[in-house]
Amino acid sequence: MFGLSKSNQSRGQFEALLTPWLDPLYASALRLTRNERNAEDLVQDTVMRAWRFFEKFEKGTNFRAWIFKILTNTFINSYRRNTRERSLQDESERQSVEARFFSAELTEQTQNPEEYLLNRVMSQDVLVAIDTLSIDFRMVVILADLQEFSYKEIAEILDIPVGTVMSRLFRGRKQLQKILVAREGIAPSGAIDLNEFRERKKLA
Amino acid sequence: MNCRHLETQLTPYLDGELIAEARVEFEAHLATCPTCPRHVEIERHNLSAIRDAARTGSPTAPPEFKAKLFENLARDSNRQRRAGVTRFAAVAAGVTFAIVIGHHEYRGHQRRLYEQDAAMRHARQFPLEIEQSPDAISRWFGGKLDHPVNLPRFPNATATGARLLQVRDKPAAYIRYESPPTRSAPHPMGLFVYGDDNDLDVGSEAEVGSSHGYNVVSWREGDVVYQLVTDLDEQDIRDLMPPGESAPTARPAIDVRPASLQR
Repeated sequence: MFGLSKSNQSRGQFEALLTPWLDPLYASALRLTRNERNAEDLVQDTVMRAWRFFEKFEKGTNFRAWIFKILTNTFINSYRRNTRERSLQDESERQSVEARFFSAELTEQTQNPEEYLLNRVMSQDVLVAIDTLSIDFRMVVILADLQEFSYKEIAEILDIPVGTVMSRLFRGRKQLQKILVAREGIAPSGAIDLNEFRERKKLA
Repeated sequence: MNCRHLETQLTPYLDGELIAEARVEFEAHLATCPTCPRHVEIERHNLSAIRDAARTGSPTAPPEFKAKLFENLARDSNRQRRAGVTRFAAVAAGVTFAIVIGHHEYRGHQRRLYEQDAAMRHARQFPLEIEQSPDAISRWFGGKLDHPVNLPRFPNATATGARLLQVRDKPAAYIRYESPPTRSAPHPMGLFVYGDDNDLDVGSEAEVGSSHGYNVVSWREGDVVYQLVTDLDEQDIRDLMPPGESAPTARPAIDVRPASLQR
């Protein structure tokens, strides 16, 4: 009557496609929800939803992008409502990509001497810093830098234009660096002074 | 290309997303500019340091979680398959019988739809409208819904908060029950209370279904239908009930209703 019966074979196919991406899904869910219990719930919801809609998945196409789209949609539709995070859909987003790249933020950036992050940034520091990004930046950083999706894939996953992917990534990474540089500055190992770095390079 | 223009292309350049033409232009500028190469080098270094750290530091999913996930997947698809087999058998056995079974399954299907929606809403942890004592919660519901909302008592679990929710467009009371944290019940339970217009297909005998990784216990008390969403397993659900006079061992559907509602 409801035509929902599926064969063991199709569950086998689904599980085979799913298994390699469970850890990446969990790692991303953890960054989105920022807590282990919610991350598990989000992955669980995502997987059950993907299984129900598996018939609609076109075999041979990009399963990873498909299931990450379900993950981000599930997150946006449900979990995000609770977290009351401010969206970035403000006027700056409506400006052209070009104009945004010449913003005051950028000028300020080029005026300050740039700093190298330590060769081995502490993983925990980076993950914590990612968690502090606002949700729109966090999603593109997770997809691009944690999961190595292409701009085109990210645009499809999040249903936003490629230009928006690029500008969010630009701004998200800038924020991330700012946080990490500040953090290293406080840490005893400290951020490397640029002159000192040059000296060291000469010696090497 | 000038230095500012280069900056606009730096993100896609480092990500290998520049089209060939733009890339050539970008690199031509790099070859002649006194300042940009260092800038690009720093950006490249920082980006790869961040990426490496983020990737190596990302945790993997706990094995128990994965196991539970595949278990839920199997359970979900087995239930769907069983439903299919029953229908086939019914058709083979005769048209009249098939209609009875089909109708019965349709009714069960309604209940399952509510189970699914209730479990999903419970999982989403919507903000509660009141977080007070059970008595205060009872009072808070007074007159808010067309049906009475009596809070059942469960051993080892106390009502701690509540709100109004829609489940499949039906207004419901949602009450969160919390237990002292134990191995068997790590998470709060959610109780949905509906006024029934006979479309829920829930009888007075409790039935246990599952959805979204939760067990959902449904039962009726007069014109009011209850659905309890919990991550307890069936054995624990039995244990949730005090040893009653009507030990429900032989029945397929266990009587899990709270003592206050058992006759």
